Amino acid sequence: MSRPVLNRRKFVTIAGAGSAAAVFGIPAYIPRVGEAADAIKIGLLEPYTGVYAGPAENETHGFEMAADAWNKRGGIMGRKIELVKEDEQNDPGVAAQKARKLVNQDKVAALCGTVSSGVSLSVAGVANTLGTLFMDSGGHSDDVTGKSCHWNVFRTCHSTWMETHATGYSLQKRFGKKWFFITPDYAYGHSLEAGFKDVLAHNGGSIVGNELTPLGTTDFSSYLTKIDAAKPDLVLVFVQGDDYTNCLKQMNQFGLLKKYPVGGPQVELEPLLGLGPEARQGYWGVEWYYKSEKTLGKNNKVAQEFVAESIKRYGRPPTARNAFGYITLDRLAHAMNDAKSVDPVKVARAIEGVHFTSIFAGSAYYRKEDHQLMWPMWVAKIRPNGTPGDKYDLFDVTDINAAEAVEQTIAQKEAVCKLGYPGA
Amino acid sequence: MIEHIGPQLFNGLVLGAFYAIVALGLSLIMNLTGTINMAHGSFMTLAGYLAYTMVLRKVPFGWALILAPLIAVLVGIIVERTLVRPLYKREPFYSLLMTFGLSLMAEEAFRLIWGPNGVPFSPPPALAGAASLGFMQFPTFRIFIVVVLLIAIAALALFLTRTRFGLRLRAAVQDTEMIAALGTNTQVLYAVNFSLGIFLAGIAGVLAGGMLGLSPTSGNALLMPAFVTVIIGGMGSLFGSIVGGLLVGIAISMTTLFIPAASEVSMYVLMAIVLLVRPRGLFGEEGIFG
Repeated sequence: MSRPVLNRRKFVTIAGAGSAAAVFGIPAYIPRVGEAADAIKIGLLEPYTGVYAGPAENETHGFEMAADAWNKRGGIMGRKIELVKEDEQNDPGVAAQKARKLVNQDKVAALCGTVSSGVSLSVAGVANTLGTLFMDSGGHSDDVTGKSCHWNVFRTCHSTWMETHATGYSLQKRFGKKWFFITPDYAYGHSLEAGFKDVLAHNGGSIVGNELTPLGTTDFSSYLTKIDAAKPDLVLVFVQGDDYTNCLKQMNQFGLLKKYPVGGPQVELEPLLGLGPEARQGYWGVEWYYKSEKTLGKNNKVAQEFVAESIKRYGRPPTARNAFGYITLDRLAHAMNDAKSVDPVKVARAIEGVHFTSIFAGSAYYRKEDHQLMWPMWVAKIRPNGTPGDKYDLFDVTDINAAEAVEQTIAQKEAVCKLGYPGA
Repeated sequence: MIEHIGPQLFNGLVLGAFYAIVALGLSLIMNLTGTINMAHGSFMTLAGYLAYTMVLRKVPFGWALILAPLIAVLVGIIVERTLVRPLYKREPFYSLLMTFGLSLMAEEAFRLIWGPNGVPFSPPPALAGAASLGFMQFPTFRIFIVVVLLIAIAALALFLTRTRFGLRLRAAVQDTEMIAALGTNTQVLYAVNFSLGIFLAGIAGVLAGGMLGLSPTSGNALLMPAFVTVIIGGMGSLFGSIVGGLLVGIAISMTTLFIPAASEVSMYVLMAIVLLVRPRGLFGEEGIFG
């Protein structure tokens, strides 16, 4: 057998290729002057590869719809919106790099996007250093609008506090006070756990089991066998994405779904579609839904058009993720238009506290004190097989919870969150 | 706590059987050609998705369980022929990098073809319920899995010890050059050996799809424990892979019972202990790790 060695010729080839790449890579750093010079660029950071690729794609669809709608109307102050997309790979480090690249190189007027809270917090920090706006469309951790809040950061999706309190109150009324938790063992899971504990502290009740499962657990049997011994009134499942699918599928195999009611703070359409109808059950928090008067409001033309147009363009109904993207960019564009400027401080001031209607029921506003979007949080019962002719119609929305009733109060937020506007 | 030990032990055995069969495939390929197949998990996922597509088109589950791994084997033969074979003469590092790259490409390909989210792949209704084992209710599908995996392992053992081809394969592991000198076509041996490994991975992939979930990343999730299994069982030993798999499965399920946060780490602790006490692994050949 010939031993592979690094000889001179091979070395020269590799070194040559490397330096060629370096040389040809350089022009990328020269700003492309002239190319759509008058467009307003918005940087979109989403995890296009990896476990959250699905939600990332849906949020992007929402952003595209909002951008196209504004561009059709002539753009912001007569300037078109141009989305510059970057794959943040669900990695806080990569996301920070890409955020800098978008701001320094592409000269974007604001950053939007993210799915995982860790990434949202990382981008929020970088954006704050650079003095750029960041609209967190999809990362739920309380900290984004809590102890890590910044003047330049706004969040569209609900906080974990809102999710847990909305579903906690609704589920306790229906099923009783002995709860069993299946918690993902990382920051997001722990903040959900804290939220539900707070509900129990207010209304009474007990935790009869709390299984901390590592992220990416494939076999849940070890945790599930403990449920029978604990005899809970309700099993609350906090795990997300593929872990959610695995967990519910196995609960069904062990016959647990027939014995115990199940529910959780949030479920998205994406993982539900990955489950067989036999394992689709329970009451879950819903952040937006395309087919209910409770979520869209009565005769809400904007919402109806949004749903119809999404189905036409992408071949399937929009999910909450599509809605996050749409609402986020639509509000940002409105604020720039109102402020007649892309100056971050002026735009931020034009976003906060302004009441608006959009593709959901009622009106909402980004709260002045913490920049959290205050919109209702819904709870739905799952229809395992959808409705006739619509396999996506899996939610029967039952409860609406007003944002103010389920989010921490202004006083609670002011104790931890200091926005720190420049010069303030 | 005590009443959970019995059921947990059984859960651990099912999980262990999975790791064992994936590790067997890895070992087969590693033993003969020194290729560390990082794309093994991708072949599992591929077979899972193929079976899912077949069941959607009304192919009975039993047929899908055989046909999907066979198609994965076809893909495997093409990969072996065109991508892996040219690297046999180089250090294992090259094929490791190549197959790792392949697994990344496969993951994105699955995403393009079957979508980024998991797909609903459920066992057939006949296997969907739970059966009584006396001390607990246990999902019928898991019992079915254990039976299938046991049959697959027994068939592999018979093939390797009782057929002429199997004997040649084992001889080639010991001395490929001598086998070639004696007139055996080693290229065919390589191809068949690779196919066997992929076939085992394929069966595991279809069963895992039904028991756990099926998404672009699901196969790779089972790959790391399988590598640990190979090291614990000992490189070069197929029997070691089986014992190693069961040990890893039981270690994980028992730690989950007592210290859930350590469940992921327990197999690495087990590996560290085995490597300290017996560096070549439980049944490994001397000289590979000392």
